[in-house]
Amino acid sequence: MNIHTHMKRTFSYTILLVAIGFLLAGPLFGAGSRDTTTSTGDGGPVTVEFWHSNSGLLGEAMTELVARFNATVGTEKAIVVQEIYQGKAADVATKLRAGLQANRAQDLPDLAQLDATGVMDVRDSSMMVPVQTLVESDPDFNLDELQPGTVLSMTYKGKLIGMPFNASTILLYYNKDAFKEAGLDPEKPPRTLAELADYAGKLVIYDSDGKTVVRYGFAGVPTTYELVSWIGQQHGVSYLTDKSNGHDGNPTKVVFDSEGTLATFLDEWRKVYASGGLGNLTSDVRQQFIAGKTAMFATSTSSLATVIDSVAGRFELGAGYFPMVNSESTGGVNIGGGAIFVFENKNDPGKRASWEFLKYLMSAESQLFWHQKTGYFPVNLGTYGLPGFKDHIARNPLFKVAIDQLNDSSPQIQSVWWPNSYQAYFEIQNGILEMLEKGLGTEETVQKLSSVLNRYMDEYNRMNKE
Amino acid sequence: MKKSLSPYLYFVPALVLAYLFSYRPFFKTVANSLSLVNFSGKIIEFVGLENFQSLFADRNFQTSLVNTFRFALFFIPIDLVFCLVCALLVYRKRRFNALNETLFIMPMAVAMSSAALVFKAIFNPTIGVVNHLFGISVQWFNDPAWAMFTIVFLGVWMAMGLDFLLLVGALRSVPRHIVEAAEIEGAGTIAKFFRIQLPLISPTILFIVSTRLRDSMLLSGPVMVMTSGGPYRSTQTLVYQMYIEGFTAGNYSKGSAISVVVFVLTFLLILLAFRFERKGVFYQ
Amino acid sequence: MNPFMKRTDIAKATGATVLGLVVVFPIYYAFSASFFTIGEFSTYPPTLFPSTFSLVNYIRALTESMLARFMVNSLAVSLVGSLLRMIVAILAAFAVAFLKFKGKQVLFFLVLGTMMLPGDALIIENYLTISRLGLVDSYLGIMSVYLLAPVQMFMLRQSFKTIPLTYRESAAIDGCSDFRFLTSIVLPMSRPIVLTLSLHSFVTIWNTYLWPLLVTNNPEMRTVQVGITMLGYADSLDYGPIFAAISLLLMPSIIIFLLMRKKIVEGIASGAIVG
Repeated sequence: MNIHTHMKRTFSYTILLVAIGFLLAGPLFGAGSRDTTTSTGDGGPVTVEFWHSNSGLLGEAMTELVARFNATVGTEKAIVVQEIYQGKAADVATKLRAGLQANRAQDLPDLAQLDATGVMDVRDSSMMVPVQTLVESDPDFNLDELQPGTVLSMTYKGKLIGMPFNASTILLYYNKDAFKEAGLDPEKPPRTLAELADYAGKLVIYDSDGKTVVRYGFAGVPTTYELVSWIGQQHGVSYLTDKSNGHDGNPTKVVFDSEGTLATFLDEWRKVYASGGLGNLTSDVRQQFIAGKTAMFATSTSSLATVIDSVAGRFELGAGYFPMVNSESTGGVNIGGGAIFVFENKNDPGKRASWEFLKYLMSAESQLFWHQKTGYFPVNLGTYGLPGFKDHIARNPLFKVAIDQLNDSSPQIQSVWWPNSYQAYFEIQNGILEMLEKGLGTEETVQKLSSVLNRYMDEYNRMNKE
Repeated sequence: MKKSLSPYLYFVPALVLAYLFSYRPFFKTVANSLSLVNFSGKIIEFVGLENFQSLFADRNFQTSLVNTFRFALFFIPIDLVFCLVCALLVYRKRRFNALNETLFIMPMAVAMSSAALVFKAIFNPTIGVVNHLFGISVQWFNDPAWAMFTIVFLGVWMAMGLDFLLLVGALRSVPRHIVEAAEIEGAGTIAKFFRIQLPLISPTILFIVSTRLRDSMLLSGPVMVMTSGGPYRSTQTLVYQMYIEGFTAGNYSKGSAISVVVFVLTFLLILLAFRFERKGVFYQ
Repeated sequence: MNPFMKRTDIAKATGATVLGLVVVFPIYYAFSASFFTIGEFSTYPPTLFPSTFSLVNYIRALTESMLARFMVNSLAVSLVGSLLRMIVAILAAFAVAFLKFKGKQVLFFLVLGTMMLPGDALIIENYLTISRLGLVDSYLGIMSVYLLAPVQMFMLRQSFKTIPLTYRESAAIDGCSDFRFLTSIVLPMSRPIVLTLSLHSFVTIWNTYLWPLLVTNNPEMRTVQVGITMLGYADSLDYGPIFAAISLLLMPSIIIFLLMRKKIVEGIASGAIVG
């Protein structure tokens, strides 16, 4: 064997050894780092695994909260919270469902942050531990400390299933400089859709050719998220489906057709489109607003801190109430955002450690910090009395708008818990877009949407008998 | 007798894998597509072709089907023409051609998700460079008419390394004497291309077409990273919808039915590809 | 090579270079953008050249995210995965090429038949299988669907068949068992193709996206292709670290690619690597 073959052989053996090294050392079979800390009082800290969907500024705030807990209560009570960013809320739900289906409790986290679209995935699972149970077993914790609307938003058949940690409403964001340029009062954002149509028409700017839009008045295509408020607020309170939008049981059909609420909305929305200032944009709308390509847009209050940060003096930012469909739509807006759910995963017996962390997140101070860093409004009523809060609001009046809007809204308005929420979202968006761009009739559009959404509910109920 | 057992042992790993990850899932998927499956993945009842009937009547599915073919319709000609042009420019052995060839095959060094993120940024209507450099203002990710093209361009970019090399190889294997004979008889470049080169490299072209057709049926990665099926589902493809129905919505019957459709389509196209592989790739 | 460049050749070469630069532009952009500051990302009109060459974004990418861990995961999965893949393929190809047993052809076609069933369409069921086996979030789980490579098995068989039977016979006379024949004679003789296919396997597994995305929940187990799409910076126009991460990935890829360029081109021409 000459030197070359010898060298080649040594090389291949080395690769082989390295490979075997990985094979043995790496987590070949088991899950990553949640080591067996299923402590039963053996002295080691209990690890609480928490899946969430907060990134960017929100992610930083969450990391800070977790660090604070670990350094204080965590050290005291031997609890270590491990936070894992899992992508968007829909991604967290998808991963959870995987573990729930395969019936593998050990693949589940202790806590997971979900929004309305993920609720149906976990609601009926035996592995989900309703927060109500934990509340009842802890005499020190009182649900009355929390904003009633938020508690109601996460109640199913009378029981609180998830802890409403990050509560938000939808908000109208607008460019005050653009208002001034167009001769509009920057302190008076549009209050109804009719006014929105009027303002949008005045704010839109065309290119020199008179056809291409350089800046829209308002940009966005309504989907489930907006409709929950725009339909919910009509006649004081309304619903999209029966069973109170799915909070009293699996919804079986839509009611926005028979109650005429969708039709009312669509007629008003068409006027906004007719003004010429509506941009049917669905992606990156926030970026477009920041870049000055649209003068108004509507999104969650949870984006407030991010928008303020990104606008950074480019123009003066304004925030206003979400426009009402018409003068009869007095219900206000829906409380959205997300909640944290608890799971039985053979870790943390009685979920005591998880409950400690939850309580910490819901404390007045934590909620203040979270509010300041994000724009979600404080769920703990105690926060509103803290001097730090009053101070913050005085210096950042925009944050107050969301809170005022919340207090002016009916807590009866609910998010909708229906199956196929992802598809439903797009059906609604497409349906409205088609109506506008192809000039279809209101009745026709309502028919189309109700038939496809009813079909989703039928299919689901057929396959998953309650 | 020990000796007669061991040959089968050599095959065991391959067979186990083939069963576990190909055949078994295939049959289960077919079974699921013919039944009602609940949220947890258990079959509830057998319903025959009902899932397929409702699938084909569903506008959402029709959109996926149309989009998948729309992608192929744009992707394959653009890919072919672009790679042919590049191949024709550099297939002869001249100075600088080695450099140019390297430039053309660089995309092969880049993985799909990295490329998709870069393309997402450069086609961004607000801050991206494409609109700026070409002086246009296309809303790439908000306009249903154009969003598909971002996927097509990414697809061409990812595919061109291989397709370009195949075409270069094919062009180089056209016998010199035939080409020279044509030149002597006064044939111009165009005639030379269409009458001599094109027919002789046609097996390779057909191979590329059929392979890429099959790949088009399976398109999902770029959609997931760049557009999430939007805007307004204009980039939603078959496999992407299958992923949404199956994973995000938990609709296993529907997801499996879509899988079966994808199987049938790719099966037909694989057969096509096989027929041309033999002729296309092995040269003397 | 004709030393004299005709005018058409110069035109062609220039045209090709221009096209080539267009093709390479996204790669250039990734590297360039890895040095941009947040401000440079939100200016309009967009910039093409970074104003500084500070490594801030790179440092942020490495310290604020688990990029290094992602790379380790990818490396482990690709290395071990390609090793196992080759073993499976070599064993089966060897049996078909050299051993006689009943049903050999049938079994071989059974394995090759899996080429008809594209993995992406089976992904839901495969996921359920892996999750029931408890292999979610594990290296083995990520590798599992890539361990069977019918095309490579076929190539290996073709290559093995070029070894004359006389070798086998004389080895048998010396009392050599089948397995030793494989390891001491067949494999050393097939070194080139085994290396080419191993390298190709490594790259293929390294580049996969959809399956690793589904099969990993815990960010600590994510492969790098999945990880870079989830760095969580996209919300606030803070793209710098993302491009830094992409550039970090691109650098070794491109270097290895340039070094192996000749081999790759030959491999494709000879049909060993198709797609």
